[in-house]
Parts: sequence; structure tokens; C-alpha cells
Amino acid sequence: MPALGATVIRAGRRFLSSLPALFGVLVFTFLLMRVLPGDPAVFFASGPNAGKEEIEIIRKQMGLNKPVPEQLMLYLYDVGSGNLGRSMMTGQLVTKDLRERLPASLELTFTALLIALVTAVPLGVLAALRPGSIIDHGVRFFCALGVCVPTFVSGLLLIYVFYYLLGLAPDPTGRVDIFASLPPRRTGFLLIDFLFAGDFDGWWAAFRQLILPALSMALFVVAPLARITRASMLVSLGSDFVRTARSVGLPWWRVVVTYALRNAILPVITIAGIVFSTMLGANVLVEKVFSWPGVASYALDALLSSDYAPVQGFVLLMATVFVIVNLLVDILYGIADPRVTIG
Amino acid sequence: MSVTGSRRLLMVVASIALSLAAGSVQAQTRSETLRYVTGASVNTLDPNIPGSTREAFAVSLSTYDRLVSFGRKQLNGKWVFDLGKITGELAESYDVSPDGLKMTFRLRKDAKFQDGTPVTAEDVKWSLDRVVTAPVLGKAQLLTGSMTSADQFKVIDPLTIEVTLPKPDKLALPNLATVYPIIFNSKVAKAHATADDPWALAWLKENTAGSGAYKIESFKPGEQVIMARNAAWNRGTADKSAFFKRVIVQSVPEPATRANLVERGDADLVIDLQASDVQSLEAKGKLKVISTPQYNAVTFVSMNNQIPPFDNVNVRRAVAFALPYDDMFKAALFGRGSPLFGATWADGKPSSGAYPIPQPVKLDLEKAKEYLKAAGMPDGFSTTFSFNVGQASTAEPMAALVKESLAKIGIKVDIQKLPDAQMSTQINEKKLPFFTEGIVAWLPSTDYFYRNFYTGNQRWNYSSINNPDLVEIAQKARFEPDAAKYEEDGVKLNAIHFNEIPQIPLWQPSQDAVMAPSVEGYTYQFHRQVDYRDLNRK
Repeated sequence: MPALGATVIRAGRRFLSSLPALFGVLVFTFLLMRVLPGDPAVFFASGPNAGKEEIEIIRKQMGLNKPVPEQLMLYLYDVGSGNLGRSMMTGQLVTKDLRERLPASLELTFTALLIALVTAVPLGVLAALRPGSIIDHGVRFFCALGVCVPTFVSGLLLIYVFYYLLGLAPDPTGRVDIFASLPPRRTGFLLIDFLFAGDFDGWWAAFRQLILPALSMALFVVAPLARITRASMLVSLGSDFVRTARSVGLPWWRVVVTYALRNAILPVITIAGIVFSTMLGANVLVEKVFSWPGVASYALDALLSSDYAPVQGFVLLMATVFVIVNLLVDILYGIADPRVTIG
Repeated sequence: MSVTGSRRLLMVVASIALSLAAGSVQAQTRSETLRYVTGASVNTLDPNIPGSTREAFAVSLSTYDRLVSFGRKQLNGKWVFDLGKITGELAESYDVSPDGLKMTFRLRKDAKFQDGTPVTAEDVKWSLDRVVTAPVLGKAQLLTGSMTSADQFKVIDPLTIEVTLPKPDKLALPNLATVYPIIFNSKVAKAHATADDPWALAWLKENTAGSGAYKIESFKPGEQVIMARNAAWNRGTADKSAFFKRVIVQSVPEPATRANLVERGDADLVIDLQASDVQSLEAKGKLKVISTPQYNAVTFVSMNNQIPPFDNVNVRRAVAFALPYDDMFKAALFGRGSPLFGATWADGKPSSGAYPIPQPVKLDLEKAKEYLKAAGMPDGFSTTFSFNVGQASTAEPMAALVKESLAKIGIKVDIQKLPDAQMSTQINEKKLPFFTEGIVAWLPSTDYFYRNFYTGNQRWNYSSINNPDLVEIAQKARFEPDAAKYEEDGVKLNAIHFNEIPQIPLWQPSQDAVMAPSVEGYTYQFHRQVDYRDLNRK
């Protein structure tokens, strides 16, 4: 228990120390958006008759008529009070948009990461156990294939085969069948909300919608995870303690799983953390292909139309997620290897 | 173990049975539901809000009524909106005074808002006042119909409203049929107005208070809108409520996915597929494809007439004769549209006073070289050709062909692909020398096109042309009551256009509506979206 308390305190301290970085990200994005060419007011005043007057109205609405330092101060004040501004694109508060969309992205990314880990770690271990064998080459080939095919290609391919040709998958439009009713929102994660509501049909429908996009994302990240597992397992299997464990006649699975894998897992956790953060921000193509209402496609649309507030909100969110994920990874380190403490 | 096992089995069986039952219920309502998929999204329920999307226009046309609406006519076997036929929507009838200065609308006695209260002239007055007073998009639109002040709208009695005009303006009445002057339930709207927001803009953006054919069931900006039929609505063409009980407007960003959805029968209607997908779906013959040339839209290659070398008319002429029109038309649109090139004008006179008309230009490199020589640039020059990312699927192949062809007469072209917001900013600042863009007019008359797209130092004057004759004729034509004289003015304007060639009209792209074979009644509308009220299923 005291160890746990110490971990929490350390984690809290760690989080506080990352606040200046978050602030830096915030200011940097704010300035970057204003330096980029492209005037959002002109873009959004694009009705057939929109002239100078409309542009001025929008500029005023977005607060762009004030000098940049003043805009920055107002923005920081708003962010401090929990308001990330309003999106011109959806007409909603950015906080509301992100709250609606983040669970969608997280659910997809978690599932994809889970699929990737469940596939990659055994594959990596197998490859490491028989280096140079046909299995090893098979895994290498599979990984190369996964990395070579961009996610939107694999996504479109999966749609073509499972939806268009075979008709097995539901139509690839969003998180749940358009005709189905949604469960009352508790967490925003549909799989969890459906379970809470006791609606198993709904759960199954949501699961079916999730599986193709999650697969196409997972395919892409299996490679780094499997390769890291393999490399780290090879080191671990060649080490003294494994030789000792073998020599005292421990069962092979115990040697592999308890001794070798546990020691080999640290770099895998690190990579998994990085992969997770990257996936969350970079799965825009998958979100587009599957009409997934996530944060990444939202941010891309906002960027194309120079809609400042959502882009800034998105970057801040991603930075926060990155900080939290890193923290989690550090805590997991401690569990995987008690010698490691976070400080 | 076995108990939980069998219980689980029972649960699975029950859930399968349930889902089958649900499936059959769904199948019954499915045919009464229209699922429309689009690459764009709805961002407001009030089309007047600055920044509102075209999809938002389509939704508001179903949730609100206007005083009048356009009729429809057949053009080459396809239904299109009819500017010349204006019928009552909330108005039972209307009169225009002989001097054209007064329009009187008598409201339908049976028209009710969705909350059951009757539609009164007070509501109409409030709504029209809002369009011309509040900071909304409709203000600039109604300006084109000489409606600028709340004083012009007068309540005569609870069912009669009068609109007075400073000048007889042909476009005044059609303007009231456009997207913006929708009629709000003023009591409800006023109840949500605040001191800062006297016209309830914020509330109406996310709520509706109208009398239209559909009620909003759920609205998720950027994702989907679900609407349920208003059974009491009877302003349709056949004086009955709309056909579909439910309309789902869903955003599906990936065009290939939209094509799959409609081909598999999961979506009923889509109007923004890629030309190549439309081509292949049409070839398969399973779906209904209605292609209507967007006769109120034009795609151009524009040149900035104020920046050298395009300030020289001979350079512009050289470019006009050096574009590979046929190849561009095929590569960009797969030939889906109506071309505006390759015409022959008898004795070099414009063939009509309409706008746009096919221009007497074609690929003729010898002629282009002569013009370049006449411009004093026989060796050509370098420039950039820009287009926006949003139009990349058509503009990219086109740009490559432009570059290739202009290279043959010595003009070196760099292709520049700009994010949409950057492109509109640069156009607004008049910084782009050479680019492609499109225009659309809701009320396509010759003078309207010339006044909006060829005059003044403003954004829509893409070519930045400044020709006093053109301005004068276009302004005069606006209030020209005599049809023959109007036609004459149109011919003059078209002649100036060809002589100056400020920009090169290429084509009018088709609106390809791809739908399930059972969907009927599709009509091409001025706003280039689907009016869901037109549709039914056989």
C-alpha cells in the first residue's frame, strides 16, 4: 500500500512537471495556426453572395479582428476556464465535439492496439524461439506486408471483401448501424455503454462495426510490435538467467513466459505507448474510410478549412493524451520490472 | 458450469430471435425511410448562420417553409427547377402590382407550425425582418432582390403581408423562394432571443421552429441528421405530406464507400460520387443515374486581368486557344457535363444573350502562338496554375493537361495545389495569376452573372476584370422590363466577354444523382442539393 501511495504521488509530480510542456504546445499551436496562410473568415463566408460584410461578421465572431497578442490572452483565459472555443465547421463548442468524438477514437485505438498486441507478441516470441526458421521468415513477411500496405488501402480492401463482396460486415459507416438506437451515454465507449444497458444486440452490432477499422489499423502496427518483441526476446533468451532457468529443469513455458518474456516486455511496452499515441492522432485515414466519427478526421477537416479552435483543441488534447500515456507506460514499467521506479 | 453454459446458450438463442424480429420490423419501415449519404455535413439548422454548408440548406428546406417556391419543369427528360414558375408555399396566392413595386402575399389559412399554432403574417414579417436586419447570410442575397430594410415588409391583416420595392426588380419574387427567407415561428424564436442575440441566432442554429415537411429527430453536427415526417404538412406539389416517413442524412467522407453503400442498396441516394464511380455504376445498370448539367453553374480557367502577363488581352487569347478542351473534359469529368467550348458563332456574333453560352474557342496552337507574338511574348513566360484540394479529383488531371499543352507554346506552368481556405484567401486578395474555379448562381439570369462575377473589386470577380461598358450594360439590364431589349443587352455582354476573354468558361459539370431504382421524383434544384420533399418510392 505505501508503495502504491508513493507511485501515485510520483505520478502526480510527473504530471505537474509536464504542464509547462502542455502550455508550450498550446501557445505554439496558437501562433502556428495564425502564421499559416489561409483566412478562415474568407473560407467560411462562402455563400453565393458572401462579400466583405460577411467576412467581417465571421472575423468578429471568431475574434480575429483583435491583435494577435490580445487573441492569445483571451484564448489562454478561455482555456483556463475550460472553454476551447467554438468550431465554425460544426457550429459546436470544441469541448463538446471532442467529448463526443474522443471516445470513438479511443475505443477504436484500444481495440486495434489490443488486436495488434495479441497478434504481435506471440508472433514475436515464436519468431524468437526459432530464429531463421520458416516461422521466423513467415512472421517477417507478414510484418513487411502489414507495413507496406497503407491503412486506407487495407481498409478499402477489407470493405471491398467483407462488405461489398461477401456481405458479412455491416455497412462501414460509423460506430453503430444507422437504424439502431444508441444506448444511454455513460462512458461514450459504445461497447461498454451497451453492456451497461444490457443490450446485447446493440453490443454485437457495435462490435461488428468496430472490427474492420480496428483490423486495418492493427495490421499496420503489428510489424513494429512483433519486431521489437522478437529482438528483445532474442536478447533475453540468450541471457544467463534463462540458461540457468533451463539448466535447473524448469518447464519450457515457464522459462519463456515468466523469465524471458517478462524481461523482454519493457521495450514492447514503450513501443506500445508510442504506437498508441501515434495511432490516436494518425488514424485519420481509417476514420475517413469508415466514416468513423473520431477526433483525427475532425482535426483534419478543421485544418483544411483553417478552423482554428478545433485544431488547437485537438493538439492540446493529443499532447495531454501523450503525457497520460507516457505516465501509464512508466507505471506499467514498475509492474513489469519492480526495479524501475518513476521519478 | 453446465447451468451457466445452457443459460448462455439460451441467451444467444433469444438474442438471435430478437434480432430477427427486429430485422423484420426494420424491413417494413426501411422502405419508408430515405437514407441519403454525402461527403459534406450539416453544421447548422438555420441556413442563415454564416459558415453554413450546402447540406444545411437542404435540411432547412425540409424543416421550414418559405412564402413561395420554384416550380419544376422537364429539361431533356430530366426534372429541374423552374425559375419562371413561382408557386405558393406558405402563400396561398400572391399578386404583383402592375408597376412592379408591390407584392402582396395571402397566407394559407390551414398552415400551422410544427407546434400546432397557425402561421400568421406577424411571423412572416419577423422572419423577413430578421433576414434583412440580423448579421446573416440572407442579407446579401435579398439585397440582389432590392429588399434591404424591415420597412419594406408590412402586415396588412393576420393572413396578408405586403412587400414594397424601391424599383421594379425581376429578382425580388424569386429571391423569396431561395434558401434564406424561411418563415420562423416568431413566438418560439422570440422566447429564445436574448439582449445580445435579439434574433435568436444561437438558439435557431441548434433548434428548429418552423412549419416544414420534416421535424428534426436528431442532429449530430458533422455526422448525421435524422428527420421525421410532419404529417400535418400539406404544402407539397400534390397538396399532401411528404412521402418518406423518415429521412436520414448521413456524412460518409470516403467517396468509394458512398458508392459501395448505394450499390449494395444500403443507401438510397447520393449526389456527390466521383465521376469514375458514376460511370461504372451506370454501366452496371443496377441503379438509377440521373445526370443533370448544372445549368446554373460554370467551371472556369481564370486569369487575373490586373497582373502581368495576363493584363494583356492577347496573352489571355493565346491561353484560350492553347487549352486542350476535349482532353480536359474527358480527363476531369469523364465527359459528364455540358461543354462550353468548340462553338461556332455565325459572323462572330454571340449566339444568344443567355449566360453561359458555348464559346467559339478550341485547341489551335498556331493561333495561340500568333496571339503570343502579338502580345510581344513570342517565347512565352512562366506562371503558376492553382486549384484547391477539395476539387483535386477533377482539377488535378485538368492541371496536368493545361501544363502540358501550354508548354507547347512556350508557357511554363507550375502546378500549385492549395488547401481550400488558402485558395479562397488568395482569391479574395487577388494574388493568384492563373487558376481554376467554379461559380454558381441561384437565380441564373445574364445580368446577375455579369453583375456578380464580372464587376467590382470583390472576391467573386475571379478575373478582376474592370470594364466600364460591361458594368453599365449589366446594371441597366437588371431593371430592363422588355424581354427583347434584355436579350440584346445579353448579346452585348457576351460579345464583350469574348472580346476581352477575362476568363475561359470550360463546362457545366453534371450533377450525378445515383439512387436506388425505386426512388422517384428527383429534381435538380437551384441550391444543387436534394429537396427531400420531392422524393417518393414506388
